[in-house]
Amino acid sequence: MDTKINETLDCKGLSCPMPMMKLAKTMKGMKSGEVLEMLGTDPGTKSDIPNWCQKTGNLLLEQIDLEGGVNRFVLQKK
Amino acid sequence: MAEESNENKGIISELFQTFFAKHWPVWVGGILLGSLNVFLFMIKSPWGGSGGYNNWGENIYQAIGFLGLENVAATKTSLYGMLNILIILGAFAGALLSKEFALRIPPKGELIKGFIGGGLMAIGATMGIGCTIGGFFSGIPALSGGAIFLTIGLFLGTLVALKYLFWEMERFPGFSMGKSRTFLAASEKTGNWQKYLGWIVIITALTIANIYFGNDNKTMSWFIIIGLIMGLICQRSRFCIVASFRDPFMTGKSSSTTGVIAGLIIGIIGFTAIKIFGIGAGETAFRAREMTWVFPHFWLRAPIGGFIFGLGMTIAGGCAVGALWRFGEGQVKLWAAVLGFLLISPISKKFIVPAFVDLLPHNLMYKNFMPDYIGYTWSVVIVLAILFIWYVFVKWNERTGKFSAY
Repeated sequence: MDTKINETLDCKGLSCPMPMMKLAKTMKGMKSGEVLEMLGTDPGTKSDIPNWCQKTGNLLLEQIDLEGGVNRFVLQKK
Repeated sequence: MAEESNENKGIISELFQTFFAKHWPVWVGGILLGSLNVFLFMIKSPWGGSGGYNNWGENIYQAIGFLGLENVAATKTSLYGMLNILIILGAFAGALLSKEFALRIPPKGELIKGFIGGGLMAIGATMGIGCTIGGFFSGIPALSGGAIFLTIGLFLGTLVALKYLFWEMERFPGFSMGKSRTFLAASEKTGNWQKYLGWIVIITALTIANIYFGNDNKTMSWFIIIGLIMGLICQRSRFCIVASFRDPFMTGKSSSTTGVIAGLIIGIIGFTAIKIFGIGAGETAFRAREMTWVFPHFWLRAPIGGFIFGLGMTIAGGCAVGALWRFGEGQVKLWAAVLGFLLISPISKKFIVPAFVDLLPHNLMYKNFMPDYIGYTWSVVIVLAILFIWYVFVKWNERTGKFSAY
């Protein structure tokens, strides 16, 4: 995907609730339409992020498992 | 024939996918855990978490000759010590079978928070006589008046610690940043060893259960089987009591809360039946059965302990059981929490609690069984009403975001 990434948030190694807290805080500081890439290793985020996007209306553009147990999420701010 | 075997394979792989392809809804986990909690009570006594940690810690201290402990029950003979081990193994198996296991080593600051959180949980559980499991998830269905005060404490502790986490993230974001490492992770194509190891763990645990069964220790064999299933359920449904208190005030998410409420309701139905009919009382008196999991912490000991526990579990990111199943999943922050819990618990029990409890007048720490005062019907009605209000609040808050931070 050729989306322009505005910011990257590294949450590798972090356990719940830190990834969701950091994600929500970072998204709060972004402008509408901007795109955030988030990298994490907490299995919980795999269901938390889609649910959170559904609730907040932010767009989840991509969710894939990379090598080494890292999950990559690309979100666009509403 | 070949076609038929392919079809059969399809059926079995579909069954496997049902359990291990996706996370389960939390309420499914809550209902299952609530039911298994009733089974534990039918067999012997309800689910508890902190006692098992204390047993581990006392065994370690006895082995190294610290604290002058003697005649500590060996963990292999301790129902709750074993239950906790099996919850770790069940979660380990659940994570392996869904290829979610990996050793996730967080930045140093997070490890420190894990250890301190675990230590606070130990102090809270020994002070309040009970944790989120024995004091809350089992204590509320046991219709213990003290459990309600413990819950208030847990709730307040969670809110204060959540404020701290926000403050830390704003002022010292570096504390949760830095070098992290991940080992042994699988991906869609690689790491099939995880599935094989998952089955080996399950078969090993069941074999151990069968050895106890053969030695006529039926209770332990059932605790082992139920512990294994509980760990697996927790991991697959991500059943988290910290999240049930915290998330409405963080992202506004209500699913963990509804999951816990579902488990509590099942627990209330089962526990009340056991108490009213004296099921499983055996040779013990009916009254002893009725008073099971009603602890002498009514009323002030419970909220003080609960508050400290609430602080600890929120900083650690997992309560007594949340730390266990995340341990099994390979989250090393929770390894630090488990270590802090088991190392501090015997110390708190021996030094901190007696010094503090002597200060409290006796009437602030007795057993309160709600039906003694208002009868079974009203006790159940009141507890269900509180749960209903809590449910409506978190659902309303999820929609409006009135109390959530984001």
